[in-house]
Amino acid sequence: MKGVTGAYMIKKYLKERLGLIIFLVIALVLVIWGAISISISRKNAITYKDEYVPAEGNVDFNAVGSYKTVVENEKMELLYNEAKGTIQLKDKANGYLWKSVVDKELYDLDGINQQWAAYLQSIVTISYNDLEKRDAPPVKAYSAKDCNDLSVEYLENGVAVTYGFLTPGIFLTVEYVLEDGEFVVRIPSDKIQEITKYALTSMEILPYFGAAGDDVDGYLLYPDGSGAITRYDNVSNRPSSVKAGMWRTYSDKSMTYENLVFYDYSDRYSAALPIYGIKNNDNAVLAAFTKGAENAGVVAYPSGYVVNLNHIGFEIYTRNVFDVNMFNVSSGIGETSTGKMIQRVDRSLIKEDREIRFFLLNGEKANYSSMAATYREYLIENGLLKGSIKPGDTLPLSLEFIMGVTKEGMVFDEYVKMTSFDDLIGIYNRLKAQGITNTETVLTAWLADNASYPIYWPAAKQIGGKSGLKALNNYIAENSGNHVYLQNDFILASSSNASNLSGGFSEVDDVVYNGLNQAVTGGFETTFYLLNPQVSYNRSNKFLNKIKSFPFLGVAYEDLGRIVYPDYNENNVFTKGQTAEKWREILANTQAREHRAAAEGLNQYSFTNVDYLYNTREESFGLFITDSAVPFVQMVISGLIPYSTEKAGNLSYDLDIQKLKWIEYGALPSFILTYEDAIHLKETGYDAIFTSTYDVWEERVVAVYKEFQENFQSIYGLQMTEHEVLGEGLIKIGYENGTEIYLNYNKEDKKVEGQTVPQKGYLIIEGGVQG
Amino acid sequence: MGANMKMLKRIGVCLLAAVMLISTPITALADYVTGNDSYRLPVPKAYNSVKTINNIGEFEGEQIYFKDPQDLFVDEKDNLYIVDSGNNRVVKMNEELKTVGVYYGPDKAFSKPEGIFVDSDGDMYIADTGNRRIVHLSPTGALVEEFTNPESNLTGSAPFSPSKLVVSSTGYIYVVRGENIMAIDGNGEFRGLYGQTNIGYNLTEALLRIFASEEQQNFITKRLASSYINVTLGNDGMIYATSMERVEGEIKQLNSVGTNVFRKYKSVGNSIQNPITNFIEKKILKSVVAGNSFKFGEYFNDDGMYMEPIFRDIAVDNNGIITVIEELNGKVYQYDQEGNMLVAFGGLGESTGTFSRTSAIDVDSKGNLFILDRLNNNIQVFEPTEFIKLVHQATTAYDAGDYDASYDLWNQVLAIHENYELAHTGIAKTYYKKGEWKQSMEESQLVHDRNVYTKAFDEYKYEVLRANFVWIVLAALLIIVAVGFLLVTLNKAAKKAYWAFLNEKGRKMGILEGLKYSFHILLHPIDTIEGIRYNRTRINMIVPFIVFFIAYIVRIAYIYIVHFPLASIEVEDANMVFEAVKLFLVPITWIPASFAATSISDGESKFQEITFTSAISLMPFILINTPLMFLSNILSKSQQSWYGVFSALAYVGMFLILFQSMRILNNYSLGKTIKMMIISACMMFVIWLVLGLFYVLSGRMLQFVFEVMKEFRLNIL
Repeated sequence: MKGVTGAYMIKKYLKERLGLIIFLVIALVLVIWGAISISISRKNAITYKDEYVPAEGNVDFNAVGSYKTVVENEKMELLYNEAKGTIQLKDKANGYLWKSVVDKELYDLDGINQQWAAYLQSIVTISYNDLEKRDAPPVKAYSAKDCNDLSVEYLENGVAVTYGFLTPGIFLTVEYVLEDGEFVVRIPSDKIQEITKYALTSMEILPYFGAAGDDVDGYLLYPDGSGAITRYDNVSNRPSSVKAGMWRTYSDKSMTYENLVFYDYSDRYSAALPIYGIKNNDNAVLAAFTKGAENAGVVAYPSGYVVNLNHIGFEIYTRNVFDVNMFNVSSGIGETSTGKMIQRVDRSLIKEDREIRFFLLNGEKANYSSMAATYREYLIENGLLKGSIKPGDTLPLSLEFIMGVTKEGMVFDEYVKMTSFDDLIGIYNRLKAQGITNTETVLTAWLADNASYPIYWPAAKQIGGKSGLKALNNYIAENSGNHVYLQNDFILASSSNASNLSGGFSEVDDVVYNGLNQAVTGGFETTFYLLNPQVSYNRSNKFLNKIKSFPFLGVAYEDLGRIVYPDYNENNVFTKGQTAEKWREILANTQAREHRAAAEGLNQYSFTNVDYLYNTREESFGLFITDSAVPFVQMVISGLIPYSTEKAGNLSYDLDIQKLKWIEYGALPSFILTYEDAIHLKETGYDAIFTSTYDVWEERVVAVYKEFQENFQSIYGLQMTEHEVLGEGLIKIGYENGTEIYLNYNKEDKKVEGQTVPQKGYLIIEGGVQG
Repeated sequence: MGANMKMLKRIGVCLLAAVMLISTPITALADYVTGNDSYRLPVPKAYNSVKTINNIGEFEGEQIYFKDPQDLFVDEKDNLYIVDSGNNRVVKMNEELKTVGVYYGPDKAFSKPEGIFVDSDGDMYIADTGNRRIVHLSPTGALVEEFTNPESNLTGSAPFSPSKLVVSSTGYIYVVRGENIMAIDGNGEFRGLYGQTNIGYNLTEALLRIFASEEQQNFITKRLASSYINVTLGNDGMIYATSMERVEGEIKQLNSVGTNVFRKYKSVGNSIQNPITNFIEKKILKSVVAGNSFKFGEYFNDDGMYMEPIFRDIAVDNNGIITVIEELNGKVYQYDQEGNMLVAFGGLGESTGTFSRTSAIDVDSKGNLFILDRLNNNIQVFEPTEFIKLVHQATTAYDAGDYDASYDLWNQVLAIHENYELAHTGIAKTYYKKGEWKQSMEESQLVHDRNVYTKAFDEYKYEVLRANFVWIVLAALLIIVAVGFLLVTLNKAAKKAYWAFLNEKGRKMGILEGLKYSFHILLHPIDTIEGIRYNRTRINMIVPFIVFFIAYIVRIAYIYIVHFPLASIEVEDANMVFEAVKLFLVPITWIPASFAATSISDGESKFQEITFTSAISLMPFILINTPLMFLSNILSKSQQSWYGVFSALAYVGMFLILFQSMRILNNYSLGKTIKMMIISACMMFVIWLVLGLFYVLSGRMLQFVFEVMKEFRLNIL
């Protein structure tokens, strides 16, 4: 009886205080949650010494010093100025002096403000953040003004200079050496020191190397899209306010979903190759980031950006910086304009040794064609570029088929067949009957109903399912000229598929985190994630298990050649460099398991293990400072790896122009097709494919291919060695066998170098004989 | 994949690329067109940016860069004039785009000039805005005359600050003046105000006018009609203009008496709809449901945010094709002679082919577009591609009545762009003209063109009817008999169930019986409601939920089955949750509202009864819509009005049942019932308001907590 009363009393007591209890529980949960988040974020916190008194510097900023030869080889001579810590490089072929900083001979340094004068004379600049402050903007320091401690060590083949910025307490050593006949700059990671609360976030190395005024005949080459140039002499056509161009190796440095994935951002800020080039009159240099390139970028300043000098250089990111959008608590939901950005940086430096190589070119070779050839040679020698085209291969036709499309219904979504595996075989047979036996074919949207990122299996039953795949495999076995790639994405993941039985993923363990321990997400109705590189690898391996019995079907990796990111996921931490390496491993694994591998995009890491590159950029972003896009990346890989452009022939506004573009860029003629009528793609996710019906396009596809086969089979598998802009819409390209092609984009015939090039057409000259 | 598609329509292309279209080569800069569903359909590149004029070049030591340029004009000889407002000058370039003249004003210097018109002789008319005058210069820049504010009592006290103007072939100057275009003759005399913009109707203002005293009315600021933004002169002598009007008349083509004869779209409405959900759609959820109907420009910018376009300038080419620049999203929109969009391109950005803030556009004799950007201080020259040239030819041929030529041209367009809506519509129209109804219907249905489809369908219907009159009449009779038989059977069953329920006391209502009983309300509403009232303990509460469910199924089936020209919503656009809300909002909130209202006012009704009667108030909806959705397939848009009457009947029936149930269940008099209905309606609004507030506040509360946590984590680092 007493027990009952006791229980009742407790019950009553609790009941009366229910509100308080609920409140306390909520408060407790919040406190625990807070404590956990704090402890997690503390792991990434930065520790620093509080007490720091800068030592006395040893640099006299007024000293002029002189350049003394340190080391030389048969091509060049390296000079060092002890007073300034700067270098010069002399090209022995014609005595041209590549200066690392701007001097009074080159530019009137007194006519500009002190800050800029210091910048112009700096061989190194650094940016650092104050870690004590909640929101401190990065501070920039210049070696010519702020490096007050300089020490030098003479090496066997060069010189190692330690730049000490005493105010922020940051020291770094740069080695300038001549090696393998080239000029090499190294920044060893163990020689970067931070001794106080200032954290080094980025640095510019040799920002004014080879800077030139408008009177020089030359240009800057930068890795914008396929490559682009800004000519010094075109300065009169620059906008009234010139903006700098910036490109980061493989992907933008900002680690948000939008910056990594959206085309707008990736086209604007990412570089497929970590290179830049300068041509000054008869001398040129190609600078290539050969180690630690993933955390680096190129910045180009054409004349008119504060000073009338054209200059370009590498920027190195030593830490990842994260912008955090702090809402003002009183602001409304979704009103980002009242939000406030603050910056947080990584706890530790990215531990990577950095190496930059400068290839000097002169005379006839002082142009971007030779830069591309030089870089190509370097990549091949170092095993970074391997060919997949074999001598005697037939020029293939590049095709992409949309296999089906999911139409949204109010109650049920419906997968509508666009091209079944049987239809595809039928199309191959029709092409074969017309003499087309070689294709590089990517199959898109072949996965089962509603399946999407990151689902990779099985094939939709509406297009034939597994038996259809088998039939296709058997067909390809007998018609091996058709290379078929099943397209899958192992990078993006939608939360709506997280719990999918075949191929779901964990939204906690398998996704990418940024340095603030927040998952990187995007999307609207559903949340999109990026997958941890190891998870991507494992999933791609599982997919290869699934298609083990279809050895003739290859895999096309969507996004693999265009998106790279670091991952702070504790299960498996990746730096950006390790991720690039992992992507390469995915391709290598595919080839090792005897499937062909294709990758979307042009990023350099895929060049070692890829059979086909698709959806590659055929132009630059089109900044106002750019004078023309050039097929630089294409020249590096031409004749080694087949590639198609991001514009398909059927989607172009003028097929004649598109053909010229393909020829200029050495790309395969490509089309995106469907068996069923294209009207079914309208108002679906694939509506960008506004015309694709095979029956409508067959005639044109065959005609274009025939034209290419007839005219360009002889240069398929050869290196494009020359590309030159002769005039408005007039291009000349050359191949290693001496074949030259003149292209005319204009609407009227043009006479050039004694030849008439038809309007919107081309002229082929084989080995000096007109063909 | 499926779940994301709907949103693709709602958000801009740049989001679109990220959300799912990674595999397809599309960027935000791709050209597109919005068609009958206000949906962005990519098209091949329509215009290439072939040249950017960043400066005027070397000319007599002039400052070479532009500064805040505000207007641009291409004359008949393709000379280009730029009103470089920030530098207080006008620059003239020849057709090779070499500077041939710079004018600072003949007698006194220009002060922030904003507009220019050049006539066929090369005489320049410059709106010298800061000096409040219009200056007429000879082709060499000599002063011919100047026009100041003409005297008239119609122009009011507002100062004369001319900005955009045209000069007609009769020598009249037409200059934008607020909500009008003012005409001045060659002698500087006032010649009238022209083309008054629509002031529109405003409920608040109308109420104020009725209830406010005269003194109060004096304090209310007078609402002004929307202002004109820009004008241009067409080859046809008509004045084309843009204005700040919101629902229609953003783009105008004014005839000689100032009436807008360009595309009207406001009157194109749907069938009669539930006014409450209509209100919610139009006012509260406008950014969610907008986009289903035509409007000049677009509802959403590239980021997917709702916007009201501002057309800064307009250009008309020799064929009457109109191109406008939109200021907020930096787009260029092109329309044909009838106001159909041909292409949209441009956008905000930092690459060639995009803009920062566009201020003027004009077109030269070759169809090249010149677009002036006042922030980038440049002019981009856009050259039409073969694709858009073909579209221009096709639409021009159709406009000129050459249907055969336009048919061929549209087919050529389809060879480049299989899904181009206007091409399908053009072909459908040609089929219609040729009397090939079936093909016309097919073509227009492909692209959801309701108007052409309706016309062809009506003809087709009569053709079929004429050919098979006897059979159709027989079939109709058969169906009528069958339906009649079905109704009679149902009615019998309902009656049986009604009497069984009433007489067999002491037993709970069965589910099937309850459904039959509910059906009884259609013929004998009062008896049925009374039956509920007197047997309230025995009703089965599963029944109302089944009725709700059936109504919902009917609604969804309706969306799928209804004939497409009559559909108020496309299947792809429909959302199951939103449809449920639209359908149930009234009956479900009615339950607590009327319960609350009646229980404090001598009401006798119980919660259960109200729930039951609210549910069965949907019976007319079910009964009317079930046959209607099938019947609609032989109706078309021209029978919309009486079709609308039927859908309205469902709502009237619903209202009557709710009214009767309130009266009977509470034993109210007629007057009291009306009073209580009004109170309940107010209660419903209060409920919606409270729920809305709760939603907003709890959202804020959550956001507050999250933000505090974030501060913690990042601050303590």
